[in-house]
Amino acid sequence: MGFSANIGELTKTIIAGVIGFAVGALIIMLYGYDPISAYQALFNGAFGDLYSFSESLANASPLILTALTFAIGFRGGMFNIGAEGQLYLGALATVAVSFFHLPSAMGFALSLICAVLAGAIWSLPVAILKATRGVHEVISTIMLNWISQFLCFYLIAKILVDPQRAEKTISVAQGVRIPLLVPGTSLSYGIFLSFFAAIIVYLLLWRTVMGFDIRATGHNPLAATYAGIEKWKIILFVFITGGLTAGLAGAVHVMGRPPVYAIYSGMPSIRGLGFEGLAVAMIGRNHPIGIIFAAIFFGGLLAGGRMMQLSAHVPLEMVRVVEGIVVLFLAIPELVQLLSFLRKIRPPLIFRSKRSQDEDRRRL
Amino acid sequence: MNLAYLWGIFLGSLHAMVPITLTATGEVIGESAGLFNIGLEGIILLSAMTGALGAEAAGPSVGFLVGLGTGFAIGLIFGLVCTYFKGVQLIAGVGINLFSAGLVTFWLIHLGVPGHHAVAEESQMVNISTRYGDFSPMIFVAIALPVLIYILLFRTKLGLKIRAVGENPQAADVAGINIHLLRLLSTAAGASLAGLAGAYISVNWLGSVTKEISAGRGFIALATVVFSGLNPLLVLLGGFIFGFFDNLAVWVATMPAVQKVIPWQFVAMAPYAVTLLVVTGVIGRARFPAAMGIPYGRE
Amino acid sequence: MKQKSDQVEGKDDIILAGKGLCKGFPGVWEHLILDHIDIDVKAGEIHALLGENGAGKTVIANCLSGFYTLSEGQIYVKGKPVTLKSPGDGIRHGIGMVHQELALVKPFTVAQNIALGLSTSDLSFPLPEVENRVRELSENYRLYIDPLARVEDLSAGEQQRAEIIKVLYHDPEILILDEPTSLISADAEHLFEALNNMAKMGYGILFITHKIEEALAVGDRVTILRLGKSMGTRETAKTDKTELVKLMFGEHTPAQLERKPVKSNNIVLDVENLEALAANEEPALQGVSFFIREGEILGFAGISGNGQSELAEVITGMRRATKGQVIIHGKDYTNHAPREIIRAGVAHIPEKRRAMGVIEPMTAAENVVLKDIRLSPFSKGSFLNKSQITRHTKEIVSRFGALVSDLWKSQTRILSGGNIQRLILGRETWRMPRCLVAVYPTQGLDAKAIDHTWELFMRLREEGSSILLVSEDLDEIMALSDRIAVMSKGRIVGIFEGGEAKREEIGLMIATGASKA
Repeated sequence: MGFSANIGELTKTIIAGVIGFAVGALIIMLYGYDPISAYQALFNGAFGDLYSFSESLANASPLILTALTFAIGFRGGMFNIGAEGQLYLGALATVAVSFFHLPSAMGFALSLICAVLAGAIWSLPVAILKATRGVHEVISTIMLNWISQFLCFYLIAKILVDPQRAEKTISVAQGVRIPLLVPGTSLSYGIFLSFFAAIIVYLLLWRTVMGFDIRATGHNPLAATYAGIEKWKIILFVFITGGLTAGLAGAVHVMGRPPVYAIYSGMPSIRGLGFEGLAVAMIGRNHPIGIIFAAIFFGGLLAGGRMMQLSAHVPLEMVRVVEGIVVLFLAIPELVQLLSFLRKIRPPLIFRSKRSQDEDRRRL
Repeated sequence: MNLAYLWGIFLGSLHAMVPITLTATGEVIGESAGLFNIGLEGIILLSAMTGALGAEAAGPSVGFLVGLGTGFAIGLIFGLVCTYFKGVQLIAGVGINLFSAGLVTFWLIHLGVPGHHAVAEESQMVNISTRYGDFSPMIFVAIALPVLIYILLFRTKLGLKIRAVGENPQAADVAGINIHLLRLLSTAAGASLAGLAGAYISVNWLGSVTKEISAGRGFIALATVVFSGLNPLLVLLGGFIFGFFDNLAVWVATMPAVQKVIPWQFVAMAPYAVTLLVVTGVIGRARFPAAMGIPYGRE
Repeated sequence: MKQKSDQVEGKDDIILAGKGLCKGFPGVWEHLILDHIDIDVKAGEIHALLGENGAGKTVIANCLSGFYTLSEGQIYVKGKPVTLKSPGDGIRHGIGMVHQELALVKPFTVAQNIALGLSTSDLSFPLPEVENRVRELSENYRLYIDPLARVEDLSAGEQQRAEIIKVLYHDPEILILDEPTSLISADAEHLFEALNNMAKMGYGILFITHKIEEALAVGDRVTILRLGKSMGTRETAKTDKTELVKLMFGEHTPAQLERKPVKSNNIVLDVENLEALAANEEPALQGVSFFIREGEILGFAGISGNGQSELAEVITGMRRATKGQVIIHGKDYTNHAPREIIRAGVAHIPEKRRAMGVIEPMTAAENVVLKDIRLSPFSKGSFLNKSQITRHTKEIVSRFGALVSDLWKSQTRILSGGNIQRLILGRETWRMPRCLVAVYPTQGLDAKAIDHTWELFMRLREEGSSILLVSEDLDEIMALSDRIAVMSKGRIVGIFEGGEAKREEIGLMIATGASKA
């Protein structure tokens, strides 16, 4: 990726971020809180000390992976929002392996393998339907997400249930758990798995032939066909890889998250990780390095949110509000141009400039 | 299994049908014009909250109006981003979902009650009592509205315009239609119905607001729209079917005898599985407007 | 029914005029699409606007109807200056335009399509009146169409009739038709009859075409456009084909490049009875057969839109052939994937260089190795070898004189069309392809680049490459080709040997579409 292109993307992200925080501050003020102390607490709680930073990283870990799922798809020109459903199955696959009492090393490896496979298998129908029948992946992933959710509810309640405590699954076996990186925090060595995955995806996209083909297809499917790239291969690869990382997210979460190392019914701890990953991917501009930073930032907001709630009494969900607004603005492709446009033009945007109307019509 | 039992299931399904049908009907308008709003879930959630507050301030009717208004406002924002600003519809929609989830939870905490806000009894809409059970007047609205929207879309000039904008915006442009404005208003109108649905949930049906109160109904509505092939009358059918399963799942969960045969989770899965089959062409052929999801002006 | 003959003062009344019309698309095109054009249409006349593709005909029509806004110049309707900012404005001033690419909503019926543009209330349901009026108009103008038919079920000719009725519905006084016979061939008679009737009723009709015979048959006057400039207006009674050909194509002495005769008799590309459909599902190729030998250049002359694009696309695997065969070096490659055809040694310089030939958001280096990336040394196994790619790109860039600021940082989008074409040329020819399909390869290039390209092609020819050259530049065709084929309406209407070809003869065949006598 060119340096100048990245600057443009960074500017856009910063602008969107500023707008998001500004609106957040507005809402905070409307409720009678002090935005300054709120945001101070937020950042302190995110990056203020080792504990906070560790919590931030721990939050970031699965987000990096689910963001990668979306980002790979996006780079290929597709909207893969199936991370939710895939990560649920990945998490449960990990738990399922602990059902069988295997020696630790084997259990560990198998847990990871089953998790990524589960994610990949769940993404297969999406890829096949798209490649053969042209089914739009947004619809199929949404449906499969929900089917996965209910399937997992069933598994949690009936098959993998903990005989002693019915509201959770069995815990992952001791030997299979990922050791903590920083004792006393939630941060496990799983974070390295996430970093590792991000690096692999980076190398994949920018250093391999397949990555080149994926990016080409995402930019211009017609030219990609002209160049000899076979679209069905790209579809299959993108979705399966996305499924792998999503499944891994589920595994890393369960295997690395003290104190229970299990899933509760209703899956509260992993619910939403897929969609949050989407937000992280957008904020990270769908680039693995950007995603790492965005995920850490986001994980930090979540961690700091708790501090914000404690000391400034602003509920931590404000973080999600900010996130939503940032994503909304990042949806606008020409955000930077739009804002400079706004400064020059007085009349309402309802009446678009003649030139741009011509540009629109010229496409006929 | 006696008659009262069956009536109970039937009424329960009708009640569950309301938010789905309302939202889906609204989305049919929006999708006919070419915009795919995945943020419906967030709109329902947010309107449930604002509707509840409105009802507590000034009565259930006001609550409904506030819900409607909330939907309209969010729909306007979404529409602006996706039409004039040429935003990517999917991402904007996800942004709305995140924003709403955060704001509602934030609000709930602010109101002092952790996670759950019961709407005061007197603020709730009064149902019509019959000897078979309680009917909400909204059920009639939910049945009438798809019919009205069907007439709008297929029997008026406005409906022609909306559908033209979704199918072939260039042709509509040549005919002198303001593409962006029409898409904007269509999507805002559709979103306001989702807002109405949200208000119904909190002010009428379930009588409370939690951060999970929308319970995926926004996505079920999307599925219903697919199932209906953008025909509001089929939305009514689809809404009833989905409402039936929605309700049935809850019922099955309380019946251990039935649970042994079909666990409730699989019943809950049914609507989504059915939609998936529809979409893959196994059942029927889902046909979307040719220009849906594509910001006008771009390739 | 319009009875305007009582209102018309005299047949010399100018009903629509444009003075000094200019239109440019800054940033996209380097020159003006319309260059200070003066034109006028009289009430009761059919005025033909004649020119090759790219001459600016559609653009000027769009400006006159309000679809585009002018960069400069002024439009007058019935003597009064008007500003048209939208198609609605055009309709309001009595200008109705029938587009070449029909602006109809396919799943709707004819009546529904017309109802769309009416200014009645939104809550109305005017279909019954519309249906009646359509039947009425149908009768009066003898453009028969069923108002209840769905557009997607109609044939191209019927769709066009529907489009015309749609325009007539608004009672325009001026009618602009953009290449109306490009879709209908058999029905042209009916259309001309209808148009003549309308002219008698006092309409002013601007008829855009690239076919000389049509212009002469139906027009009272004809204005010739070339490269955005007006070449003058003539009365059709006082001019003839020859003069029009000269004005359309210009007068040039062809420069035949020095060449040795074609050595080999091996046939590299053999096309048999090829049939294919265009994007709008109408037949584009209707039984095309030809062959190209090793070391031979076969030039396809003719106005674009006669199947040349589709032919190139079918040969390179970008479009399905419905019948016929494409045989490369004796092996059947009909409807094979582009990748296989590329591997068979077929290079393709595409028509749409920005939309297909390069991937604009990607860098120059990436675009240069776009097709070869799978091969060593550019990649080893699955991994890219950046240094090799860089080396290669540098070589291509310098050899082909492309002005590229950096290889790996900026998007190719920012390069000029000419430089993009140089990159494409380099990419497609560096390995002496067995067969090169070059579609409008020098479009938009400056004189020096054109020379360069011609030299390149001749060199490739020497080394044994076969070249299928599609060009609208008759000079180019005549200079480069060993043989020349003329395409019209999806068929080859004549093949000339390089030596025997005379410019006027070819020009005539192109402009009239008539087969070789």
